[in-house]
Amino acid sequence: MAYDASNPLAGEFELGRVSSVAPVWIALLRAVVGWWFFHAGVTKLIESGLQFSSGPAYLRGMGDTVLGPLAVWMGTAIPGVIEAVVPLAETLIGLALMLGVLVRLAAFGGAVFMAFFWVGNAAFGHGVVNGDLMGLLLFVTLMVLGAGRYYGLDGVVERLALVENHPRLGYLLG
Amino acid sequence: MTDIIDTVAMTLSSTLLLAGIVVLGVVEILDGVPYGAAPTTNDAGEVIAQPGVDPAIRTGLVLAGLAVLGLWGLYRLAVPATGAERRTAADTTAG
Repeated sequence: MAYDASNPLAGEFELGRVSSVAPVWIALLRAVVGWWFFHAGVTKLIESGLQFSSGPAYLRGMGDTVLGPLAVWMGTAIPGVIEAVVPLAETLIGLALMLGVLVRLAAFGGAVFMAFFWVGNAAFGHGVVNGDLMGLLLFVTLMVLGAGRYYGLDGVVERLALVENHPRLGYLLG
Repeated sequence: MTDIIDTVAMTLSSTLLLAGIVVLGVVEILDGVPYGAAPTTNDAGEVIAQPGVDPAIRTGLVLAGLAVLGLWGLYRLAVPATGAERRTAADTTAG
């Protein structure tokens, strides 16, 4: 097979060479990340319902961060929406990842959440590469790998006539 | 055309990410204490040294890199790769 002979680092990227445990590991990773968000969301729902008031307050406190203008606007202009969306979205993102359905869409949502957590928890006592950034990168990784296809429902959904007739939907699935 | 867009998106995204994390991380270390992105404080809690690089710049670069990746994903949603393009990309990267 052809590869870029001028760049010694740009060849031999055959992912088929990885161990056969890789699909299982990707599915496990997806399920664990899903549980992480499901737990965060469902416990908020149990304790606060759709009035998670810490959400808007958190956003309003992000004024001096790189996402400040957007975060402060969200916390000030649409606090009621934030109070409801945070626990609901966390729960649904977690469920979607655990079931492996609409994984890319769900992981995108998770990445947006983690971007706000990473930038908002900006003490960075141990550097900018911290657990929040790792969480953000986990979501991006699940998107890049199309993790819903590994023991997830996206593998079934993408064979439905609706998806086969509208291939673009495949980009929202695993 | 599509290959160029793919290459530019991957290159720009990777460059922004690595600049925010690694390059400016090295700059921060070379700048001296504090070696991380948080200010150094004394026992009284007073800030005695600020990081050499504003963490907002580093986080901004990383988020910009991820945004480029996201925009590329949206582009791919609008203009899906054809079967031939997918095979070419696979051949190119598979060695």
